[in-house]
Amino acid sequence: MNLLVSYDWLKEYVGLKETAEEFAARVSLSGPGVERLYPQGADLAGIVVGHVREIKPHPNADKLRVVIVDAGKKLSIVCGGSNVKEDQWVAVATVGSKVRWHGEGDLIELKPTEIRGVESEGMICAANEIGLFEAFPHAEREILDLGASVPGAKWKAGMSLAKALDLEGDVVMDTEVTTNRPDAMSMVGMAREAAAILKRPFLWKSAKAIKEGKQSLSIKVDDKKWCPRFMVVRVNDVHVASSPWWMKRRLISAGIRPINNLVDITNYVLLELGRPMHVFDADKITGHLHVRLAKKGESIAALDGKTYQLQSNHLVIADDHGPQSIAGIMGGEASGVTAQTKHVIFESALWDPVHIRRTARDLNLSSEAQALFEKGLSTESAPFGLNRAVELCQELAGGMVASRVFDSQTTKYKPLSFSISFEEMNSVVGIEIPKKEAVDTLKRLGFDLKANSSKLTAIVPWWRDHDIESGRDLVEEVARVYGYGRIPPMVPVGLASRPQSSELLWEDRLRTVAKGAGLTEIYTYSFVSESLLMKADFDPSKLLKVQNELSSDFVYMRTSLLPSMLQVIAENQERFREQQLFEVAHAYFPHQEKQTELPDERLQLSVGYLGGDDVWKKAKGFAEHLYQECGIDHVEWHRLENDPFWHPGRTVQAFTGDTTLLGTMGEVHPLILQRFGIEGRVAMVDASLEEIFAQAHSTKRYTPLPSFPEAKRDLALVVPLEVEVQKLIAEIKNVSRTIQHVEWFDTYRGEGIPADKKSVALHLTFSAPDRTLETKEVDEMMETIAERLVSSFRAVIRA
Amino acid sequence: MTFVDKLQALAQTANRAIKQAKTLDELQELETRFLGRKGELTSLLRGLAEVDEKERPALGSLANEVKVKIESQIVQARVGLSQGEMQEQLHAEAEDVTEPGTRPPEGHLHLVTQAMREITEIFSRVGFVRTRYPEVDWDWYAFEALNMPKDHPARDEWETFFIDAPPSAKMGKVVLTPHTSNAQVREMEQKKFPIRIINMAKCYRRQMDITHVPMFHQFEGLYVDKNVGITHLRGIFDYFVKQFFGPTRQTRLRPFHFRFTEPSFEIDVSCGICDGTTKLPNGEKCRTCKSGWLELGGSGMVHPNVLKAAGLDPEEYSGFAFGWGVERSYMMKEGMQLDDIRTLYKNDLRFLQQF
Repeated sequence: MNLLVSYDWLKEYVGLKETAEEFAARVSLSGPGVERLYPQGADLAGIVVGHVREIKPHPNADKLRVVIVDAGKKLSIVCGGSNVKEDQWVAVATVGSKVRWHGEGDLIELKPTEIRGVESEGMICAANEIGLFEAFPHAEREILDLGASVPGAKWKAGMSLAKALDLEGDVVMDTEVTTNRPDAMSMVGMAREAAAILKRPFLWKSAKAIKEGKQSLSIKVDDKKWCPRFMVVRVNDVHVASSPWWMKRRLISAGIRPINNLVDITNYVLLELGRPMHVFDADKITGHLHVRLAKKGESIAALDGKTYQLQSNHLVIADDHGPQSIAGIMGGEASGVTAQTKHVIFESALWDPVHIRRTARDLNLSSEAQALFEKGLSTESAPFGLNRAVELCQELAGGMVASRVFDSQTTKYKPLSFSISFEEMNSVVGIEIPKKEAVDTLKRLGFDLKANSSKLTAIVPWWRDHDIESGRDLVEEVARVYGYGRIPPMVPVGLASRPQSSELLWEDRLRTVAKGAGLTEIYTYSFVSESLLMKADFDPSKLLKVQNELSSDFVYMRTSLLPSMLQVIAENQERFREQQLFEVAHAYFPHQEKQTELPDERLQLSVGYLGGDDVWKKAKGFAEHLYQECGIDHVEWHRLENDPFWHPGRTVQAFTGDTTLLGTMGEVHPLILQRFGIEGRVAMVDASLEEIFAQAHSTKRYTPLPSFPEAKRDLALVVPLEVEVQKLIAEIKNVSRTIQHVEWFDTYRGEGIPADKKSVALHLTFSAPDRTLETKEVDEMMETIAERLVSSFRAVIRA
Repeated sequence: MTFVDKLQALAQTANRAIKQAKTLDELQELETRFLGRKGELTSLLRGLAEVDEKERPALGSLANEVKVKIESQIVQARVGLSQGEMQEQLHAEAEDVTEPGTRPPEGHLHLVTQAMREITEIFSRVGFVRTRYPEVDWDWYAFEALNMPKDHPARDEWETFFIDAPPSAKMGKVVLTPHTSNAQVREMEQKKFPIRIINMAKCYRRQMDITHVPMFHQFEGLYVDKNVGITHLRGIFDYFVKQFFGPTRQTRLRPFHFRFTEPSFEIDVSCGICDGTTKLPNGEKCRTCKSGWLELGGSGMVHPNVLKAAGLDPEEYSGFAFGWGVERSYMMKEGMQLDDIRTLYKNDLRFLQQF
């Protein structure tokens, strides 16, 4: 929550000697944070008070006149203002000052100029041309008549306008107040903070109690839970008018537009005390004031000019005709104060924060009052606001208090009280704060204290009865005023109670492996659209769904990273005809048996290659590389033929121990690629890393180097197309334990080989641990191998 | 001609021929012609049998001298010739060495990965271990246990996504975690002390514009033990900031408010552009910072109610916690001004391959 604080105004309640800059720097480190400073009147440099001496017709234009103004010196100014007249006090922009032409666009520096052939030595300004429209609203072509706008002020020709309007020297501070401190969302609240932090005297005095009238108001409050306190008082015979300049100036400095003195008073009390108020036109209230829930079908035209349909859980203040105010949020237009108002009822109430919050959300309606009520105010704040409003009313609008003060609160307020030991306080801070300093700080913040040598007991001032919830909260009060900068930093030495999980370690290694293999890492959103899922042939109905999605692009929590990656490939394909990508992220699987369990989050790897005919080999090659890096050998490969996502002839799955799936890799089905508009071939790896990491190990094993020479032979054979290399190799290895390696190095299809066959070439390595193998021995093994392959696979041996 | 004359003539012929030889092949031929088994010197030596027996030893040694001389001449000539030939070959092999080299495959890690690695590493050096907790979690861990009861206005600050699933009576709704702070109570429940963790995870918030993405990453630090104070929090931040941003950077705490910490702080880092002076070397005002400081993020001492929610006794244990955006911190560190934070998740390869 931000508050615009006029430094001049603030100084009325606290004896400050600092400049605004010093104030901002110091208070921000111990209390509300001053985010920006706006020196007031800076835009008014070179704009002075002028006195109109003479008005002459413009020789060349009917609507313009030549005005002789005393602005310290005599100036001749061409002016088009419809209301300019002799002996008038006006705002004169002298050459070099900055104005906003017709109140629009940027500030523009004024230069000596000629208007329709007559020289003009400046400009007589309209309020909107010098940023004062809110203070002095006017019709088009009307210049600012200072005398009429600020009655009673003393003007002097040539005086700076900023000074004449009391703006000079003031600085408005844009201040952030944390949401737990609505009590500080006001000038008096800020003054309290400043007084405690800067150790300056707090000067604020509350308004005197109201001298009550005789009339008894007829009020009914249905439920005290929703409205813990309701206070009203009637004032008769008020004079509705424009507020005096001092009040307007303060309202404007805080960003509030003046309306009329009575409405301004309620806003002024809001700013001064942080106490929302409402004022009714008493003549527009028929019968009882009734705090109740809205009835079905009721609506209200509020002060913002909009009509709100109320629901039966919304609180209203109603009269016999219906709702006159949306409780704690906004008043109704029908009973608002107008220029014709004669008698008023001031209301100062307290509302249940949760109720206010729900209603504001339901109606999509917010206001300054609502923001404060929903943060939580004290019931004790109500009379302070009512007293001050009536005091201001009598000062600015006259009137007689006609009624008794109605107050729904009947029991006496019991302040909160909390204790904390000095030991606990010092333990939380980490150093010892002198007891006297702790005690003094709390006292300056308004706490009533009882302290002995070991602990203190603090009675919480009413304006803090929402944010101080325990003794621990007192530590913050003491420590922040003491100064966090005075608490020395200390690095706590020690070790965590456990090492990093192996999943995280392997995940990190995996990324290194992928980068080393030339892949580029992508990060895509975990939620996907229905259309993306459909394109990739995933069934959305089995996925977790976001209840309040941001847009149709982010609806389902994905169970696979592949669709998002295809999207990325498609988006980049025009610029990159070859791509190699990877992503590591969680996928979210609804819990299968129990919907009442959290979803399973499984870490997934996706890899994608865009390119030519060999991409499936790259994908598989990467998977093999990864398994090797993870120390996983003995991987079994099984063809995957009937998954609509994958190319039936170019997809394989890796298993260990026959049942544990380590991953699926291969080409993506051309139909899917078509739907994504991808040209070329894409091969991907889809792997659940849990399974891989569970088998991964980084322990290194050592196999002694062969002591006797190895024998190497090549084998080329022609086999039917469906015979898989993996099976050939297994069969060969079965022949003898002296066969150390069987390595595939080529497969050939085409000329010289029948169409249903392929030629496969292999390197074989033989060795025995205890002797040199004889040539004859190896030859015999080669023969055995050939025989087996011929009989098992109908192979024809070529060499 | 005497034997000696013949020998000298042979030596001269050989010397001349060797000098004239142009290639290594020619030399090879000469070696065979003069010194080979059927060569001229050998056949000359056969004539030694006819010489007087007394003169034989002297002549023999003279013949040997000639042989050695020819041999050494051949060796010398060979060195000369082969050097020349190699020179020619090297010359012929010259390449345009300004052509690009053949590079190994060049991969790229995403900025978020790089940031998380660096942060993990820095904290591991002071004994904080990286952990992982659910990214889709119960309302209880995301809010309620963190001292944020239902309908509390503080919840509005987290624009939270909910999962369309029946709520649990005990744990509430299922949410996409809007912060990493759900790790706090989950970690503390295990009651293994000291708790020194950095939890990193994806977080989700319902907002998207040039400074917000609906999915981002946070790192959450939590230190809980006996006698943990604000001094420790300051110590860890000072250390982290100097490691992450640079040794000259300063930190400061400002009071703030979060429901799950008490007291709560906003952490500022001195501006790296103007070095905290608010003025640039050329005298202009620094546009990067507010009065010399940059907001890093929130932190605080773990609220007693949060300790209680995890079953810990606040009289016995205390701690501090913080949770900051990975992306934001890294951008701040690198002084990288991304016009639009969504660029990080657009996956334009022209962007990704810059890192």
